[in-house]
Amino acid sequence: LASSQRSDNEEQSGHGEQRASPARMPFGRKQLPPIPKNAAPITKPSPLGTPIQSANGTHASYGPFYLEYSLLAEFTLVIKQKLPGIYVQPSHKSALMWFGVIFIRHGLYQDGVFKFTVYIPDNYPDGECPKLVFDIPVFHPLVDPVSGELDVRRAFTKWRRNHNHIWQVLMYARTVFYKINTTDPLNPEAAVLYEKDVQLFKSKVVDSVKLCNSHLFDQPKIDDPYAISFSPWNPAVHEEAKERMFTYKRRPEDHHKVSQASGLSWVKPGSTQPFSKEDNPPQS
Amino acid sequence: MMASVVANGNRDGQSLVLKGVDPETCMIVFKNHWAQVVKILEKHDPLRSSSALPSLSVINLTASSSGSSRFGPIPGDEASAVQNYVEHMLFLLMEEESGQAGAMGPILEFVVMENVMERLFVWSLRREFTDDMKLEQLKMYEMLVGQARQPLLHHKPILRPLMMLLSSCSSTTAPAVEAELVLLLNQLCYVLAKDPSILELFFHTSEDQGATNFLIFSLLIPFIHREGTVGQQARDALLLIMSLSAENERVAKHIAENTFFCPVLATGLSGLYSSLPTKLEVPNEEWHCLHKEDWLQMPSLIQFLNSLEFCNAVIQVAHPDIRDQLVSYIYNGFLVPVLAPALHKLTLEEVMTTTAYLDLFLRSVTEPALLQTFLSFILLHRHENVHILDTLVSRINTPFQLGIVSLALFRTLIGLYCEDVMLQLVLRYLIPCNHMMLSQRRVVRERDCYSASAAKILALTPSCCSPDRSPPPLRQLDSILFSKGGETPDNSGNTEEKKSFSEENDGSGNSCTIGSEIYLDVSYLHYLYDARLSINSCIRACQVWSAPYDGEDPPPEKYQPGVLEEPGLTSRQPQMALKKAQRPFALQAGSCVPPGTDPLPVNQLELEWDDSYDACPVQTADASAERGPPQPPPAEPPKHIQEMRRTARMLVKGSYIEENDFQDDVMVYDLIAKKDSGDVERTSKPSGSQTEETKPGSAEVPLKNGLNLTVPSPAMVDNSSNSLDAKANGQTDCNANLQNTTAVELGDDLLAQYEELIRTLDHEAGGKPVKADGEVKKPITPVEVVVVEEDEMDFASFSAETPEPEKLHSPFGTINRFRSGSATKNNSLPFTGPFISVLLSRLENMLSNSLHVNLLLTGILAQLAAYPQPLLRSFLLNTNLVFQPTVRSLYQVLAIVKNQIEELAASKKDFTELITAAQHWLMAREPSFIETDKSGGSSGSNHQEGGRILKNSPPPKPKAISLERTEVFATVLFTEFLKELAAIAQEHSILSYIPMEE
Repeated sequence: LASSQRSDNEEQSGHGEQRASPARMPFGRKQLPPIPKNAAPITKPSPLGTPIQSANGTHASYGPFYLEYSLLAEFTLVIKQKLPGIYVQPSHKSALMWFGVIFIRHGLYQDGVFKFTVYIPDNYPDGECPKLVFDIPVFHPLVDPVSGELDVRRAFTKWRRNHNHIWQVLMYARTVFYKINTTDPLNPEAAVLYEKDVQLFKSKVVDSVKLCNSHLFDQPKIDDPYAISFSPWNPAVHEEAKERMFTYKRRPEDHHKVSQASGLSWVKPGSTQPFSKEDNPPQS
Repeated sequence: MMASVVANGNRDGQSLVLKGVDPETCMIVFKNHWAQVVKILEKHDPLRSSSALPSLSVINLTASSSGSSRFGPIPGDEASAVQNYVEHMLFLLMEEESGQAGAMGPILEFVVMENVMERLFVWSLRREFTDDMKLEQLKMYEMLVGQARQPLLHHKPILRPLMMLLSSCSSTTAPAVEAELVLLLNQLCYVLAKDPSILELFFHTSEDQGATNFLIFSLLIPFIHREGTVGQQARDALLLIMSLSAENERVAKHIAENTFFCPVLATGLSGLYSSLPTKLEVPNEEWHCLHKEDWLQMPSLIQFLNSLEFCNAVIQVAHPDIRDQLVSYIYNGFLVPVLAPALHKLTLEEVMTTTAYLDLFLRSVTEPALLQTFLSFILLHRHENVHILDTLVSRINTPFQLGIVSLALFRTLIGLYCEDVMLQLVLRYLIPCNHMMLSQRRVVRERDCYSASAAKILALTPSCCSPDRSPPPLRQLDSILFSKGGETPDNSGNTEEKKSFSEENDGSGNSCTIGSEIYLDVSYLHYLYDARLSINSCIRACQVWSAPYDGEDPPPEKYQPGVLEEPGLTSRQPQMALKKAQRPFALQAGSCVPPGTDPLPVNQLELEWDDSYDACPVQTADASAERGPPQPPPAEPPKHIQEMRRTARMLVKGSYIEENDFQDDVMVYDLIAKKDSGDVERTSKPSGSQTEETKPGSAEVPLKNGLNLTVPSPAMVDNSSNSLDAKANGQTDCNANLQNTTAVELGDDLLAQYEELIRTLDHEAGGKPVKADGEVKKPITPVEVVVVEEDEMDFASFSAETPEPEKLHSPFGTINRFRSGSATKNNSLPFTGPFISVLLSRLENMLSNSLHVNLLLTGILAQLAAYPQPLLRSFLLNTNLVFQPTVRSLYQVLAIVKNQIEELAASKKDFTELITAAQHWLMAREPSFIETDKSGGSSGSNHQEGGRILKNSPPPKPKAISLERTEVFATVLFTEFLKELAAIAQEHSILSYIPMEE
């Protein structure tokens, strides 16, 4: 699979955490990354209108910050999970809209590369569960053949704060392609085929995968600087990014050295006594 | 003076003249000159010729020669003839290039063969060897060494006379000669550094001379602490040798074993320190640490810092042997014998001054080994049986400048990101996790995914400061914040229409598209930004720490109180041999007392803190028994009691009962009398150290004076006794009130009673309050009550503020110390450490603290909150964590302050107006504050950030407000502090483990 994401995205797959903050929180320039409202309309993911915070009276003004940080926290959780084959990136316009792509490496949908968008309700985490919509409706019992929306709610009938996290939704989206479930399908045709004529189902899946992959290099559906877009391998563009990804892996040690300059410790590991290091190598 | 002429000539560019001349000609000229010189030399050589006699008849033209030469004066014309020849010869030598393949050039070869230099040196001896003569010779060599084009020093015939010259200069005192000597030495060191192979020669040559090995080094030592250029050059030169030593065992060994380098350096510090002013003139109340502008005005301090910096540099580059030796000399030759007593002087100003010096030193030292020395002094050294750290912590509660300066010192300390420091100050008390409910331990590592803590913290924003509810003036202020986006204050005036903001912002591209209904606090963005930076750098720094302190590592079970102490003994001993000597001391103090002799547990606990000044058998016995190892684990009960007292005091505010106080006092006096009989000396000394805090308490009058920092030492003495009283009160009161003689149970009973008391007080208590009063507040209450209830004037006045803390705090402060010392029973009681409790108690008094105290205080707490260790983070920021009922959390204290503010706001009509005025005042002052803060230190960046926004818009002229309205300023600051903390909490929630994984 020679496809490559824009360098933005590549970085993300390597160390998305870095990306996360600078990109989303350009505080240096004293600006607050935008929040849902504007972005949401694009696909009208959630009809929930007014932000909850306004109800809070005195401290309403901080509501957006809480929301923003809740979403950032979710994003860091996603990164921590290191979900295989799944990459996401919050959009530039709104932290409530995330772009993603999933690589299927085995099974019926092998070699599938499906782009999707996650829409998070703006009363998160107290609202319903986020929506996950594939750019191109994949042929799958649980994917709406028209809108491309994945039936997520069956897995999260009630979205519970502290228990449910967005990474679980992403995980679910991945699982769906490995364990086919045909109950209450959004795409009855697929469900029926899977039950009655697996061969035909398989060939349809193959077609669907091909279709999706053939649109891989299309412009992103949503115009956003952080939208995930693929382009053919171009050494001029990608070589350097690749290089950076690999050097980054090696960096931790250097990183460590640098950091030693500022912190101090003479505590022997396993001890809680100050200056318990035996040889006290202060010149570390 | 031949050399000087030569030197000058050369600098004028004579070398250029020589350039074109061919080497052979030069050689011929050189030889000719030399022949002439030799003639004169031999003529006057007493050993060789009788021709010296004739010269006797010659008129002596050398003015200074009288009586100088044994063999008769040398005629002036001959002397100057030699001088001229030599001048030229030196030029030729200097300009000569080395021969093929590095061989000597012909002239050099000739010089070596003929032993020219030595003969010239002898000639100068032959004449009167005056300072002038030395100067000449020194300059000659300086020029040769510095400018020769081929290596000269490899050749003994050149090196030997040089060494002879140097050793003959060793006893010189003439400044000019010294300067030249040091310059030459400096140059020699440069050559050495470039070409270490010469080193051997230097050693050997001096052996020949019978002089000290490595003469050039020994000659430099006396100049180590010299001020001005000479000192600087000497230190530079020594540093070169130091870095040489890192690679050359022989040099290192020589310096460490055969020279007084390290002792001279260290004792020099002591000497220089003793010439520092013992009392600083404090420019204003705001002053809290020595900034560069301050010490640049103090030559003696500059000199000290130069030497300290030099030590720092030596430690950085020198061989480990030298480094270790120097460090231990500094510890044992400066810190312990000089700085420790200085920290315990008898007057407030002196102690304050020493504290400020210590803070400055800590900020000046960069080399880890040296920092470690200072820190182990602070953390582990005991003066009069009390850890320096404990004393310093207790002083945070001191009114007057000392309290502020102490705060500044701790700001520096916690800004070092030093695990050892944080361990001693805070973490060791949190490791056992006793401060929280058992079920909560898992929460320690949890992250606040939905900013719940931030929301809770921000919800404490006093209603009078809430942007939404505030009356027009306040809004205007907020609008000023927005105006940064390009709006004019006027626009923002109509805050009602928040839409305009967001829309405008959208237009500019930096939109905050947050929903049109929302009034956005832009300043909060800056707090977030700062929080992120601060946490990031903290995380990075803490990567070198030994453990994550996440409630699992170190394992809480393993470090339950009592266990924690054990390792202490060994670890406390500094690695250095010298330090070891002291160890026994501390140990003995703790351990020599027979165990098992404690009749009064309660007393012990509290008294233990006293062990600082107290030699009472009882106490010691307790201490020893309980704490086998001197290092206390997290101590608990005192704090706990303290908290209760405070709470009780708050609740009972105004209900202070004099009788009780009086009774208590009587008890105290009794107690003291008994103690005094035990050991008078001890008490006086230790008290001295602690006096600062307590002393104000003793007399209210002194307090007022205290502002000026001029408390007469006699007063101090009195105070010291008072301080004792105060402390004693704390302890005795409990007993008295409880009337319980039984030891062990007392503690529990007491606590139980307190709890009850507090509860009942809440609803207004009847008989119980009395007890409570007696115990809790007796010292404090009177003043405080007055303060609170008096009109604003009083409230604002410093005296009001100071007395209270002093009385309250001194006991507390002391008690806190004990905790660290106390062991047994305490173990079971949750306690988060004296440092935290002192900070929190000062924070609780925020409304009466001066603005500057509050700035420091909030800065310190914010810095603490930025530490990534889950134990600390959860303790300070997690508002959902359930603590033991006796543990006070930051959030609780903030809530208390908020309530105080609400009460205040409700009772004063013009409060909001005053707040606006205070905000404007703060804005106006931001720019200057930023400057000072930059030079000063780490904290406060948040305020700077905020300030930057504020500063852009010209503040409307508000009504004037006096700085003495501390409650008003505190309210403003409190509100900002909430934002700061909330921002930190939020950033933690998205940062905490990411960087850890990297």
